[in-house]
Amino acid sequence: MSSLSHGSSAEPNLTPILDMVFQLITFFMLVINFKAASMDLDLKLPVMGSARPVDSGGKDDLLVLNINSEGKLKVYGQLIANVDGYIRQEAGASLLVAREKNPNAKVDDLPSIVVIRADKATPFKMLNQVITTCQTHGFRNFALKAMNKADGT
Amino acid sequence: MRKKKRKQEDVELNVTAMLDMAFQLLTFFILTFRPAPVEGQVLLRMPLPQPVAGVRSGEMAGDRASNPSPLAELNTLVISAVANETGGLRQLAIGETTMSNSLSTLDSKLGKLLGDEGSAFQQVIIQVDSRLRYEELMQVIEVCTRQKLPSGQPLTKLSFVEAA
Repeated sequence: MSSLSHGSSAEPNLTPILDMVFQLITFFMLVINFKAASMDLDLKLPVMGSARPVDSGGKDDLLVLNINSEGKLKVYGQLIANVDGYIRQEAGASLLVAREKNPNAKVDDLPSIVVIRADKATPFKMLNQVITTCQTHGFRNFALKAMNKADGT
Repeated sequence: MRKKKRKQEDVELNVTAMLDMAFQLLTFFILTFRPAPVEGQVLLRMPLPQPVAGVRSGEMAGDRASNPSPLAELNTLVISAVANETGGLRQLAIGETTMSNSLSTLDSKLGKLLGDEGSAFQQVIIQVDSRLRYEELMQVIEVCTRQKLPSGQPLTKLSFVEAA
């Protein structure tokens, strides 16, 4: 009979640990930022004291372009070989979105903002190729990203 | 008696499965958590480079009655940024006036040119050396975007041209 009492299972109360885990999950769900996926965090952005963070609240249509020090274009972690083709495609998509809001949206003045995240060592020649391609396809609004503190990456 | 005992027994919910799932979710969020750095930005309106004066192709000064002086329609200020071999800033120039690579000098000269009441300049074209590093270019852009037009509006019309 004594063996029966030894065999009875001791069940820990898991409710507090479950509470804690749910609190942690809630925290991570609140702070998760899917925008970070579009950023190449390996880039070292230039430092510019007057650069201010701007949050449009997701209203603006953004095209984020990461340009590394060799002038290669990276979007969502993928190297883009055909830069012109990619930007043309994005310009077409941007125009469709713009025409939904305003049927008179112009092809040569797209409302989307091209966000340029370029490495601080990128030569202007490489950067200019991307900017000129964007301008050729109708983009006019640009946001040049920079850190406003020297210690950031 | 037996019936009473059964009723008093606690109904325990097995939370183990829920805890497993919660831990899996927690692991996912921890692994995908990469706090985005706080980045600043400079918003620019960059149209394709325009002619710096209101002169038509092939036209000579004084040819057109409505445009007696091409300078009167000049509304674009050209800044040149020359790079050294390593891509650093070697020399700056406003129009034909060259200066050292001093950004403070550029700042004061631009302030006088753009902020003057009689100034007609509406936009700035930066003629950039193809070797110039983006970091150095941003310093020049910072000086330009700091300027105010006579209307009190900040200068936002900027274009870049690659120097030959």
